[in-house]
Amino acid sequence: MKILLAGLNHKTAPVELRERLAIAPESLADETRALLSHPGVREGMILSTCNRVELLVCYEEGEPELARHLNQRFAVDMQSLGPHLYHHRESEAVRHLFRVASSLDSMVVGEPQILGQVKESYTVARSVGAVGGHLERLLQGALAAAKKVRTETQIGSSSVSIASVAVDLARKIFGSLEGKRVLLVGAGKMSELAARHLMQQGAGSLLVSNRTYERAVQLARKFESHVIRFEDLHTRADEADILITSTGSTEFIFRTPHAQQFLHRRRNRPMFIIDIAVPRDVDPDVNRLDGIFLYDIDDLQSVAASNLSDRAREAQKAETILEQELARYQRRVESLDIVPALVDLQAAAEDMRQAELRRAHSRLQSFTPAQLEALEAVTRGLMNKFLHQPLRALKNAAQHGDLAAIEAIRAAFAPNGTKGSAPPDQSANYAGSEEPAHTAKRRDG
Amino acid sequence: MFLLWLRIAAILYGLASLAAFGAVLGDAPRWRRLCMPLALSAWCVHAVSAVEMLVLAHRWMPVGMHEVQSILALLIATVFLFIALRYRTLSFGIFALPLAFLLIVVPALGPDKHTFTSPVIRSGWLLLHITALLAAYAALIFSLLASLLYLIQEKRLKNKRSPGFLNWLPPLDTMDQIAQKTLVLGFHCMTVGLFAGSIIAQESVGPSYFSDPKIWLSFVMWGLYVIMLFVRRSTGLRGRRAVYLSSAVFVVMLCVWAANLLSSVHRFSAP
Repeated sequence: MKILLAGLNHKTAPVELRERLAIAPESLADETRALLSHPGVREGMILSTCNRVELLVCYEEGEPELARHLNQRFAVDMQSLGPHLYHHRESEAVRHLFRVASSLDSMVVGEPQILGQVKESYTVARSVGAVGGHLERLLQGALAAAKKVRTETQIGSSSVSIASVAVDLARKIFGSLEGKRVLLVGAGKMSELAARHLMQQGAGSLLVSNRTYERAVQLARKFESHVIRFEDLHTRADEADILITSTGSTEFIFRTPHAQQFLHRRRNRPMFIIDIAVPRDVDPDVNRLDGIFLYDIDDLQSVAASNLSDRAREAQKAETILEQELARYQRRVESLDIVPALVDLQAAAEDMRQAELRRAHSRLQSFTPAQLEALEAVTRGLMNKFLHQPLRALKNAAQHGDLAAIEAIRAAFAPNGTKGSAPPDQSANYAGSEEPAHTAKRRDG
Repeated sequence: MFLLWLRIAAILYGLASLAAFGAVLGDAPRWRRLCMPLALSAWCVHAVSAVEMLVLAHRWMPVGMHEVQSILALLIATVFLFIALRYRTLSFGIFALPLAFLLIVVPALGPDKHTFTSPVIRSGWLLLHITALLAAYAALIFSLLASLLYLIQEKRLKNKRSPGFLNWLPPLDTMDQIAQKTLVLGFHCMTVGLFAGSIIAQESVGPSYFSDPKIWLSFVMWGLYVIMLFVRRSTGLRGRRAVYLSSAVFVVMLCVWAANLLSSVHRFSAP
């Protein structure tokens, strides 16, 4: 069985194309069924995320045209698809899948979502009967490798986005975010994102303030929160544990005396101020006060960049682990490869048949060519019938990944087999001179 | 037999210390899984050793440096386990577990040769006095430690350093809570200890007891403690100033500990 992986991702295709090929979770099962029915495909799985669409298939003969499949299913013409599509075959496909599952091929290296997405695709493919022995082994190998990368490296331990860095810092100050109050001053995409992220991570409630009251009300509706009038900001900002500010003001909104008042009213409980505005809304001197932790956009970005370089370092460790896991997978696949065993078995039986015919040569002198032909056909037929059961058992064992059964059949029927790599004369020796004496005697008698 | 338990406890504390270093500084999950079971086992064996030691001596009061060290180590391990379970942080293990290990290494080598007997040591009040004061010391050690770590973490956050070697430090709020709660616990223990000590001294030494400078120092320390708690409570003092205050009380506490050696009351010279 051969492996083929075709797809496109954030590195090879623009979002306009990726979104045309994206598969909704509810359609994944139908699409996997459609892939399975594509000519030549024996096993198949589809991985569809916001950054990639990949088709992974196992086939025996005649490489399936996966580009054609995408073209037919998603009505994307071949010309616009072709330049962005990549194909990986055999070991390259295995390596690619292992890297994807381990998040080494992700846009943000080390992001944790991809492993869940691979698992989800695998579950769907299994549920529609598209996963057989080969894909099962491949996916199990990829998931095991990804798990090892996660546990043995720090690849996913640090935050690399502004919003998640803000959450991490808030956790370093407050421990749990539960019950903490966030105040969002001004409106901005990044500040809203940070506020949303903080709320998702357990922050208790949100307050919103804006120079334009109506805009504040709109925002408050969006977040199901309360509004603080901009005029009351300095008297009420201390109600918040985390203050995110992002206004268009050209002057500082919060200065040291304001922060001192906040601390006084908060009885010195710490306050985390995130100033995303450019020009800044908070006087940098505020950070000198005990209990106030002020981070501006540059500070957050520098923490994120530093974390990103940490991840790159960890990714190198992950690559080493991945190489080991790939080698382990390869060894397992090789030991499950029954082709050499089949060749050994058939060669041993054929050599035995030929040896017996040679031994009986003197007694066959009187046979006519037609009789000799019939004898040839009878012995070949007998041999094939005899081999039928062990060959079927071998194929079944390989299908179920039963290594012990494969070894047992090999040992019983081709004990001196060399996994198909034996030179022809070695096979002849087996059938001829190394034949047990009692067997030869019985045949002679 | 208690020595054997103590030696096993010392080995387990040693291993738990190594696991704590691996878990906290190396951020290795494998060590994290090992640390708590090792520390808990060490604590259990240590507790068995302490109980057996006192039962064999037919008294409940630790006497002599070895016994006092062993009990102090047990109390430190107890506070550490409580913090680790309550606040889900092993960070204090890199200080508390090696400290417990070092405190019981010498007692585990052999029995204390320098000990004494006195009818006073069977008094229940004396047991309360010593145990409560040892617990106060253990609590104060953790309070000071938490305050110092708070300071380091605060400085890191202020300087906007990216996560690095000190990434293992617990959140500021956790350290503030630990510092505050151990301080209060230490205060209660110290109050009980001083109260019990006063009763014993009144009964055995009489009014001359109050002329001992060590006793005055003890009450000064208690007074400072009250002031510190009051200031912290009323102003919500945190950070650097809170650490200075905790450190001051700790230094006075060390002076009181040192004065123990000079005080006639603590030499049991009086009947």
